[in-house]
Amino acid sequence: MKKIDFHIHTVPTISDAHFTFSLEKFSEYVNTAELDAIAITNHDMFDLGQFNDIAEELDCVVFPGIEINLDKGHILVISENANLEEFHLKTKAVTEKITAVGDSISVDELIHIFGDLNNYLLIPHYEKKPAISGDTLDQIFDFISAGEVDSPKKFIRMAKDDTDITPVIFSDVRIRESMKKFPTRQTFIDCGDLSLKSLKFSLRDRNKVALSKSEGNSLFQVFDDGQKLSTGLNIVIGARSSGKTVTLTQISKDYGNVKYIPQFSLVQRDDANYEKEFNADVARKKSVFADKHLSPFKTILDDVLNVDLGINRRKIQDYLDTLLKLAEEAEKLDAFSNVALFNETQFEVGVDKVLSELISSVRQLIENIEYREIIDKHVDLNNLKDLACELIELLWAKAYERKKKSFVNDIVRDVKNKLQLRTSATQVKDVDLYKVMIEHKKVLKFNEIAKLLQTEKMIYEENFQGFKVVCKQRPFKGPGEIKNVSGQKVAFGDAYREYSNPYKFLVALKGNEALTPSEFYKYFACIEYEILNKDGFKVSGGERSEFRLLQEIKDAQNYDFLLIDEPESSFDNIFLEGEVNNMLKEISKTMPVVIVTHNSTVGASINADYMVYTSKEIKGEDITYRRYSGHPSDKELCSIDGKKINNFQVTINSLEAGEDAYDDRRGGYESIKN
Amino acid sequence: MLMTIGEAGMKALKIENFQGHFLTDEGDYETVDKIDKAILLRLVNLALEDNFEIDNYDEGELKNQAHQIIYKSISEKLNDLHQKRNQFRDESERLYLNEYEKYKA
Repeated sequence: MKKIDFHIHTVPTISDAHFTFSLEKFSEYVNTAELDAIAITNHDMFDLGQFNDIAEELDCVVFPGIEINLDKGHILVISENANLEEFHLKTKAVTEKITAVGDSISVDELIHIFGDLNNYLLIPHYEKKPAISGDTLDQIFDFISAGEVDSPKKFIRMAKDDTDITPVIFSDVRIRESMKKFPTRQTFIDCGDLSLKSLKFSLRDRNKVALSKSEGNSLFQVFDDGQKLSTGLNIVIGARSSGKTVTLTQISKDYGNVKYIPQFSLVQRDDANYEKEFNADVARKKSVFADKHLSPFKTILDDVLNVDLGINRRKIQDYLDTLLKLAEEAEKLDAFSNVALFNETQFEVGVDKVLSELISSVRQLIENIEYREIIDKHVDLNNLKDLACELIELLWAKAYERKKKSFVNDIVRDVKNKLQLRTSATQVKDVDLYKVMIEHKKVLKFNEIAKLLQTEKMIYEENFQGFKVVCKQRPFKGPGEIKNVSGQKVAFGDAYREYSNPYKFLVALKGNEALTPSEFYKYFACIEYEILNKDGFKVSGGERSEFRLLQEIKDAQNYDFLLIDEPESSFDNIFLEGEVNNMLKEISKTMPVVIVTHNSTVGASINADYMVYTSKEIKGEDITYRRYSGHPSDKELCSIDGKKINNFQVTINSLEAGEDAYDDRRGGYESIKN
Repeated sequence: MLMTIGEAGMKALKIENFQGHFLTDEGDYETVDKIDKAILLRLVNLALEDNFEIDNYDEGELKNQAHQIIYKSISEKLNDLHQKRNQFRDESERLYLNEYEKYKA
């Protein structure tokens, strides 16, 4: 197996923060990491002079390369270490095209510059930002040997997927003078000689790449001192202050996108506070859920808010009263009340929605691209255009008529008002019966829908690892509940008396100026969001912590690592042995999980893939921190400097407080059992 | 001789014998106390034509106070509309104008 790192920066460009390159550091990196081959890949440029210096100095195979901005993604183009002048000229053409942050070249330009791409090793950013994706990737797919990823998790996922391309993981490091730690992201590749041709051949086979030299993809190097971890489930054991938590924080610092659950973070220190926090979390989720559930109701309510049945009733009453009075006075009409306009009504000038919608539909038929063929098969485009024009002409004519009628309405109103001032005769009050009736219907529908919303029923249920998330709708039981939902210091007592009649209730809410109409939709039905335990009861304090731990672990799916520090400090063994161990096992199939523990239920029962024993060793005045690691079944664990330690002894000491204590306890249990 | 509506010389509103009159569909004249909204709409149509003409309001010429009120209001508004008749039409035809011009081609 050869160890390679084909993504290394040695020149700061416009795409980097400034750094000072150090050839000495570079040499140190290649030697410590024991690299067999590297590639120099600066952003959109190739420094031939520097390359020659590096190639001469380093004790490994060095390939010339360039990282190019291709259609807003990045791709590594690596060349054979020959014809450097020609490669230099080609890369210069790239440099000339990319002069500002955000510039990129197209695939056509790439091919125009480099000619036959088969002569190069092409590695796009794949599961790594900024990725080459979509069309661009399709265009160059035949020339791609592998795709670059940025975490062991993504590497393994692609390595297992036969339909995907071969993954590679590289450091993407800036070799700077001030470097203190070296990167650990490199790829092992099974190939004969280290030529570009041989590498490309090997990369075609996903089984020829790995995260570790001899353990395939089951182990990967986590620290620059050579420390490895499993890509599955790891446990870290050891005495107090021997470096367990340090190990976790170091991983958390070295890698991005890590889910770290620190020790005691989920413990219930302050009961009242914790419950408040938990409830706030639940309330947030509830509010999101309630808004989603109530959003259609809100639309209706916003419409009904403008309806005032009281005013409508008054208008009808006024109309009837004045009509009857006028009939009585028929004999007494004077010059003013006797003219036709005195009791003239208004023209109806509503907007013709149907016609506007019809025009929009025809427009869609004309302009639609997706279903063009089908439309063209049945209807002639020119006919559609003629239809659209005719409809628009009709719309104009109607709009023109409407405008004229509005104008007449103005005159009628004006004359009527002036006549009214001069006579004691009764003028018939106008009323729009159509509007009155429509609004009446709206209110009936609104009442019906609001009542449905107030029917007690389950609207959502989710089972989650022995817990149950339940959402219910039900009527409010009293004004206090509505007040809580409103979050305001306003009394709802008066309004609540009308609660059983939704429209009347709405009118009462409108009457209270302290309330905001845009919030009214929340006051009609109570949406409950509860987390219940497996027995169907509200969760207790301890169960709340359990629920949160499980949620945190579930959330880890969105990260590249999961680190947990002593989960046992907050939970009982039955819970740990059951749900927690199961979830950790499950999630470790897709990503590296590292658990620090003293607890045998976690440490011994979980069947980890790999274990690390941390040790603080004192010799005279010297203190050395060591990590011994190996598989749980190994007789001995080894440190990276070659020291060995008995696995059984350290495990039983760490997890069971020593062999004697373990035997004692077992004896104790046996005697109770008998 | 009968003249067609809107033809030069036929006033839409006129004052005669101290009374206000409007031009009917048949080309006759009726007193303004008979005007209803349908008649008004017809007068509005006349005001939107180019050759629209009326007698201007004159309080001294109208004895009947009801006629004064009606004649004043209607004559002023129709005159105003006649001045702005092009703008009045344009506003209605601005709807979907881009589409119309695109498809008409």
